[in-house]
Amino acid sequence: MQRNRPPSAQTISVLLALAADPAQWRYGYDLATQVQLKSGSLYPILVRLADRGLLETAWEQGQGSRPPRHLYRLTSAGREFVAALPAVRHPQTAARPHNRLSEA
Amino acid sequence: MLLIPMMLLGIAVALFRRSSQAVVYGPRPDVPLQLLRWATGLLSEQRAEWGQAMLGELAHIEGRARRWSFAIGCIGTALLLPPWGRTAGAVVAIIAVAVGSLGLYASVIIRYRLGASSLIGASIAATFLLSFVVAAGVALRRRGAAVPGLLGGLVVALAWVAASGFTFSNMILRVWPAWALPLLFIVVPAAVGGLGTLWGGSAAAGRRTARLAGISAGVGVYLYGTLAVAVFGAGGLPDDSGFSATYTINDRLGNNLTFYLALLPLVTATFGWSAATLTARIKHLPDHADATYPPAAPYVSMTPSSAALSMPYDVEPAIVSGVAAWPRSARVVLVSAAVVVILALGFATGLRG
Repeated sequence: MQRNRPPSAQTISVLLALAADPAQWRYGYDLATQVQLKSGSLYPILVRLADRGLLETAWEQGQGSRPPRHLYRLTSAGREFVAALPAVRHPQTAARPHNRLSEA
Repeated sequence: MLLIPMMLLGIAVALFRRSSQAVVYGPRPDVPLQLLRWATGLLSEQRAEWGQAMLGELAHIEGRARRWSFAIGCIGTALLLPPWGRTAGAVVAIIAVAVGSLGLYASVIIRYRLGASSLIGASIAATFLLSFVVAAGVALRRRGAAVPGLLGGLVVALAWVAASGFTFSNMILRVWPAWALPLLFIVVPAAVGGLGTLWGGSAAAGRRTARLAGISAGVGVYLYGTLAVAVFGAGGLPDDSGFSATYTINDRLGNNLTFYLALLPLVTATFGWSAATLTARIKHLPDHADATYPPAAPYVSMTPSSAALSMPYDVEPAIVSGVAAWPRSARVVLVSAAVVVILALGFATGLRG
């Protein structure tokens, strides 16, 4: 059963980073760097967002010997979800979340 | 006596297979990539794409520290990311059997007042069982490995118990008929590895089947053997004369550990592994048959100039062939090691017969 818990500070920071330019596809590592999350926290968040239909994924073709790269951006439902977030009114509070294992 | 050549055979196969692959494929990828490949292989089928996403991202990260940091986080995610599906039930079952064995071991220590010295054996058994539970947890999460591996484990366990005539006394003293040694040590493990290869469609699937069968059978038969000691204590047929009951029980518990937690998994994995590779070679099956991601579509062009789609990224590059790709020296050493093991088994069978 899908649980719709309130988003954590880390999730909100990822959502806000994606919502900054909703049309833009983003890389996972760039997102992690921007919101200062470890990969072990970021990917569970991305998986959860995609499961809830808030995140759209695609593949960027590989270049040379490098493999294809996964891309992320908000769906329209994701944009609506971000717009409804109370944290949007205070983006500075969610810009640098603490890394907590429990959020992963 | 048998343990040493068995271990030598396993080590010889592993070393030469590793070196031969290095010759075929060139330098190995760095450790973070190898670890992440392994970990993402544990993801369930519906999460496999996320494993590919992590691997694809790692390929674009420069710098050792950054790669390690990124890979460690992703490995943790891959190890824990649900769903585990029916695998969780199998892991719980193996944990229950392992805990049951330790509980029986503790009850024997208390009931027969074996003293503090027996705690060393109990600690070794606990270490073995803990490592087996972890290994089983990993092996069971491999796609398509659980059912053939557990079925194989059941067959191996039944063979070991049947060889003892389904009696506790023979289980403790390992009174086996002459035909039992080649059956238990070669035929059954080889059958499990070979059938696992046919079931999974690749040599890697057969090797995983053999490993999981060895682990699960070892844990199960060890529980049975410990139960036999708990029931018989120092009773039953005399195995060593002139020793105290405490010594005899300790000896039997130690023998259980050697045979069922060390020898059984080792021979099952070793001969199952060899049979898996051989079966794949004979049936022209690939060494690895893992699914490749990402799918052909949808792709997003991030740069206006990029037009053509690239080849899908293969997590574990398909190995061209099994034994055929090995250097000649590796095959010679492998055959020599196998001959040594067979001679040792024949010698041991002759002694018992």
